[in-house]
Amino acid sequence: MGGLKRKSSSSAKTLAKSKKKKGPHLPNSILKVIANQKRPLNSDEEDDDVIGSDDEHGGDLYEYEEGVPEEESRKNNRYDRHDNYDYELPEDFEDENVESEDDDDGGNTDNDEAEGDDDDDDRHTRMLQSLTGMPSAAFEGESKSKPVLFTEAYPEGEFNPTRDVLEGKNVLTEEDFLAPLEGTPGYQKTSKQIARMRKDTKHVVHAPLPKPQRERLERKAVIGLVDEEFSKWVHLVKKNREAPTVYFNQDVDLGYSTVGAIASEFQPRTEFEKKMASVLNDSEVSEAHRDDGARLLELNEVSMEDHIKDRNHIAKMRSLLFRHELKSKRIKKIKSKTYHRLKNKDLKNSSLGALMDPEMAKEEAMRQEAKRVEERMTLKHKNTGKWAKRMLSRGLNVKYDGTKAAIAEQLQMNANLSRKMNSMRDGSSSDESDDEEELNDGSDEDTPSRLIAKAKEKTLKALEDDEVPNAGLMSLPFMARAMKKKNEEANEEAKRALEEYEEWENSGGENSKKTVNVSGRRVFGATAKVEAPKESRKDSDNFYDDSDGDNDMPGIEDNNIEPVRDNASPARNTITDTEFDDDVAGNPASKTTFDVAMFASGSWKKMTGSKNTESKKASKKTHAPIPQAQDKKGSRDEESEDSESEAEEMVDGILTSASKETFEVPSQAELINRAFAGDDVLDEFEKDKEEVLNQEVPKPEKPVLVPGWGNWTDIQRKRGISKQMVQKHEAEKKEWEQGLKTRKDARLKHVIISEKVDKKAEKLHTTTLPFPYTSKEVFEHSMRMPIGPEFNPSTIVGELNRPEVVKKTGVIIKPVKFEEVNPNDEVDDEHPRNHQKQKPKKKTSRRQGKVKSK
Amino acid sequence: MRIKTISRSVDEFTRERSQDLQRVFHNFDPSLRPMEKAVEYQRALTAAKLEKIFARPFVGAMDGHRDGISCMAKNPNYLKGIFSASMDGDIRLWDIATRRTVCQFPGHRGAVRGLTVSTDGNVLVSCGTDCNVRLWSVPRPSLEDSDLSSEKSIEPSAVYTCKNALLAVDHQFEGDLFATAGAQLDIWNHNRSQPVQSFTSGSHSVISVRFNPGEPDILATSSGDNHISIYDIRMSSAARKILMRTKTNSIAWNPMEPMNFTAANEDGNCYSFDGRKNEEAKCVHKDHVSAVMDIDFSPTGREFVTGSYDRSVRIFPYNGGHSREIYHTKRMQRVFCVKYSSDATYVISGSDDTNLRLWKAKASEQLGVILPREQKKHEYNEAVKNRYKHLPEIKRIVRHRHLPKPIYKAKAESRAMNDAKRRKDERRKAHSAPGTVVTESHRTRRIIKEVE
Repeated sequence: MGGLKRKSSSSAKTLAKSKKKKGPHLPNSILKVIANQKRPLNSDEEDDDVIGSDDEHGGDLYEYEEGVPEEESRKNNRYDRHDNYDYELPEDFEDENVESEDDDDGGNTDNDEAEGDDDDDDRHTRMLQSLTGMPSAAFEGESKSKPVLFTEAYPEGEFNPTRDVLEGKNVLTEEDFLAPLEGTPGYQKTSKQIARMRKDTKHVVHAPLPKPQRERLERKAVIGLVDEEFSKWVHLVKKNREAPTVYFNQDVDLGYSTVGAIASEFQPRTEFEKKMASVLNDSEVSEAHRDDGARLLELNEVSMEDHIKDRNHIAKMRSLLFRHELKSKRIKKIKSKTYHRLKNKDLKNSSLGALMDPEMAKEEAMRQEAKRVEERMTLKHKNTGKWAKRMLSRGLNVKYDGTKAAIAEQLQMNANLSRKMNSMRDGSSSDESDDEEELNDGSDEDTPSRLIAKAKEKTLKALEDDEVPNAGLMSLPFMARAMKKKNEEANEEAKRALEEYEEWENSGGENSKKTVNVSGRRVFGATAKVEAPKESRKDSDNFYDDSDGDNDMPGIEDNNIEPVRDNASPARNTITDTEFDDDVAGNPASKTTFDVAMFASGSWKKMTGSKNTESKKASKKTHAPIPQAQDKKGSRDEESEDSESEAEEMVDGILTSASKETFEVPSQAELINRAFAGDDVLDEFEKDKEEVLNQEVPKPEKPVLVPGWGNWTDIQRKRGISKQMVQKHEAEKKEWEQGLKTRKDARLKHVIISEKVDKKAEKLHTTTLPFPYTSKEVFEHSMRMPIGPEFNPSTIVGELNRPEVVKKTGVIIKPVKFEEVNPNDEVDDEHPRNHQKQKPKKKTSRRQGKVKSK
Repeated sequence: MRIKTISRSVDEFTRERSQDLQRVFHNFDPSLRPMEKAVEYQRALTAAKLEKIFARPFVGAMDGHRDGISCMAKNPNYLKGIFSASMDGDIRLWDIATRRTVCQFPGHRGAVRGLTVSTDGNVLVSCGTDCNVRLWSVPRPSLEDSDLSSEKSIEPSAVYTCKNALLAVDHQFEGDLFATAGAQLDIWNHNRSQPVQSFTSGSHSVISVRFNPGEPDILATSSGDNHISIYDIRMSSAARKILMRTKTNSIAWNPMEPMNFTAANEDGNCYSFDGRKNEEAKCVHKDHVSAVMDIDFSPTGREFVTGSYDRSVRIFPYNGGHSREIYHTKRMQRVFCVKYSSDATYVISGSDDTNLRLWKAKASEQLGVILPREQKKHEYNEAVKNRYKHLPEIKRIVRHRHLPKPIYKAKAESRAMNDAKRRKDERRKAHSAPGTVVTESHRTRRIIKEVE
């Protein structure tokens, strides 16, 4: 009996299992209803059972429990009816049922077998069908198994295992299931499969994990994938961040790129455009074009009337032209002067009527005249303008045709205006112009003389009226003195000039010409006439002591003046005279004589015995012209005597100093001592330092008793300065000492390091190192070079000043697109020119990179 | 005596036309210009002051809505168009150039909470508390539209209904998927009336959702239970989850750095995260004194704009702790949505006072056509200012912003509180055994954990 029961229950279970696999997953509630419907009698117990079977995780293996003894079960009177309803399924039925379910032959045959049982079952199945929407076959088996025996008080389950299981025997195995199948056709196959499964422990499917754990694992997998996805961007992002400038204005869509594209968008809007479009887009025309074009002629047909009209029109025009020609020919042939005069008059009257009006004509004439006057006054068009001058001076009129033409035009205008002027005055002012022309003709030779005469007059006048103003600023004593001095100088110069003029007049025109043309050495000589004395004075100042220089000057002057006196010429400045005389005597010879004189003077110097080169030079300069004069005038002896004495003086001056040096050779230290005898540098420096220190770290004042304050009585006087004051002083003193000690130059004897804070410079410094920088040096280096256009060539200014983001207003910026970035390429991307600016940037980006990668 | 003469060839120095620039030769010997640093400093100072003088960020307001603006969307394909929706269910398309409504999209009953446009700019998706997702076809921008300014109204091309109210929507970049956030996260296709995919997590609703523009399949959401989650829509579950102390109102991905995103938090700070490492924020952006309601990245990826409940709009650098700019007006109320224009030149804010406001992203920027020399000058000024920004005087001028009184007071108060707290912590640390009290950094302080 027990065996039977076992079998039956096991078959029921397998049925249930197979059903589960086939049908949809039903919610518990529905199954509950089903169960209730099925088993109205034993609802309490069976509910749990059904739910238990519904549970997915409830383990696939089903343990069979041996039934409770019937005596016990009867105690609670539950199985009364079952007693009567003692129906058991035959064994073969069970087997068939199992097999049929497994092989999927169709369980209907079994159903048919058990069909005649009850109507209740059918109704129930229908109800289920309607509830779940599944084919009735799915429920048949269950309904069939309804009369299964209930052998236990409690349903088997997780919390209610059967005794066999608890005792550890009678555990159901695969063999139990297989045994009855032996001999059936599919047996071999299934047994093999089972054997294989037993061996294969790898592919055992475990029960799923609890939900939270499962989700966590799932998330982990997704995280891995997403991170991978993100990580592929790292290089691109890094490159973007490290770039000194990011450009977002690259892909600018300008819309239409060609004229054709614009034209293709054209839509006719106005009447005219529409008309044109209708003609142009006429299908017939376009078709004709597409064909060989022969039809175009047809389309181009002109009506007879139009043709005749056109022809008539042309003929008329032609005849008119012909008549006009004839008329003009006839008029041209007329030789009568009166006719032409009248005709011209008519013409004038008609067109220039306005000009014929006397007032108008006058106005016109006035305007013309004004123009001419202006031209005469300003010579506006004779290349005197700023522009014209510049163009001419730079030779641009040759270079550029436009400029050339403009200048030519101006000249032409000038010519026009001036010619008209002549023509206007031809009657009245012809004499004057003749005069002028004559004057111009003669001016080539006479102008200098004339000018000189004028100049002479003027200088004389200037000499005469030297008046000192009596009032105002100029009347102040020192101003007056200065004025006087100036006047004197001017007078002297004027006198010199006058003499020159006289000389000029004496010598005649040719000489004057030649003096203008002097060159080379001659220039030296000529300039020397004025400057030589000055130079000599300067030289003497430089070379000799003051005392020497004073003596020098009169000597030279004497030398120069004497021969002139001999010559009895009125001039005072001998040098100029001699020069001029020289010129007068004979130009070709002058050069040679000068050279000779130089040589001669040199030799003469040697003779006098001075070996000092400096003095030689000086004497050369001062005395060069003198021998020249000597040669000429023959007053050599006197000259030489004087000059000799002078030279001796000079030589003496130098010799005296030289002789001292040569005799004693003092030591270097002595020399230095002697040289810096007066200044005590060390002492001065110490004083300076003390001063600076006092200024920067002021010494506290000693407390003193102010008379009348705190020393009235004897006691007070005895007490002296109050303790408080002394203490305060002590503290201050300490502070001061500390301040001195902490100075940087406290131990450096010969150095002053100023620690004064410059407020103006302070604003150019930061108190702390700014964020992206990590070292002071790098920061200072980055600030070292200016970035402005004044301090940098224009080629790099743009790069130095470029902002971090370059974008264009109105250009949509698309999000980043993935592109492969080779991390090794980064170095190549940098512009070498950008180096200066890039450095700090790179620093920042690196830092950010670090932050990122944390 | 030697006389040095300047010799210049006429050809080199003569201009052909009077308009030509005079050629200038420079000797760049630094010893000739000893004062260059002082000169540039002075220029930087002047530039900083000029920047202040020319700082006029407010361009104009767009009014027309009858209720507070709840959300906005910019047309990724058309610069001048911006969509806005209000709490009364009104959706409008604005022309930014003329600042007028181009057309309206009527249909929603109840507040519209989410608005987004497909990348090609043809489809507008809206969702709201009426549990509807509506798809609209955007009218093509043309010359005539801006002339007419008649407010056309348009019928939705599709209406999909959900079970729950929807709080946010965002469109995939260059794809045809969009995501709605409500009781759960749903992924939709344009052509399907049912979501293609849905993600549920926890019992709280999802507040905001944002697709990653660089990685179109990855999106981030924030939910009412203070979580920030990253999803890959090709997978079935969330990738990462961060639990924070306060709610995150909005999220924005950096369009140039697809792994990074910034979250606008209820505590008035923004937190920048690296999508791969979420245990700490990469940067905390502080300055708002009240909840940050919305955030949007500049398309350049270098800045982002935030709108806050404290009635101000701020612009932050992507890696800076404090804002570089604050925008506020007397009439602007709580800001609920902000957008950076697609060319990174303007900022648009929508606030409770039913107005959209258009601001310049750089307050003192010169708009319109700029000559090359002008441009160079601007660049130089900017460079010089940037160079000397560390120096005290320039720093002071550049940093100074006039704040509305409530914000100023709130800031002072919060500063005092923070100082007090810091002092207390320091003392606690000083008086306890070394190592027992650990000060948490700002970057991790507000993050509870990364959910495993």
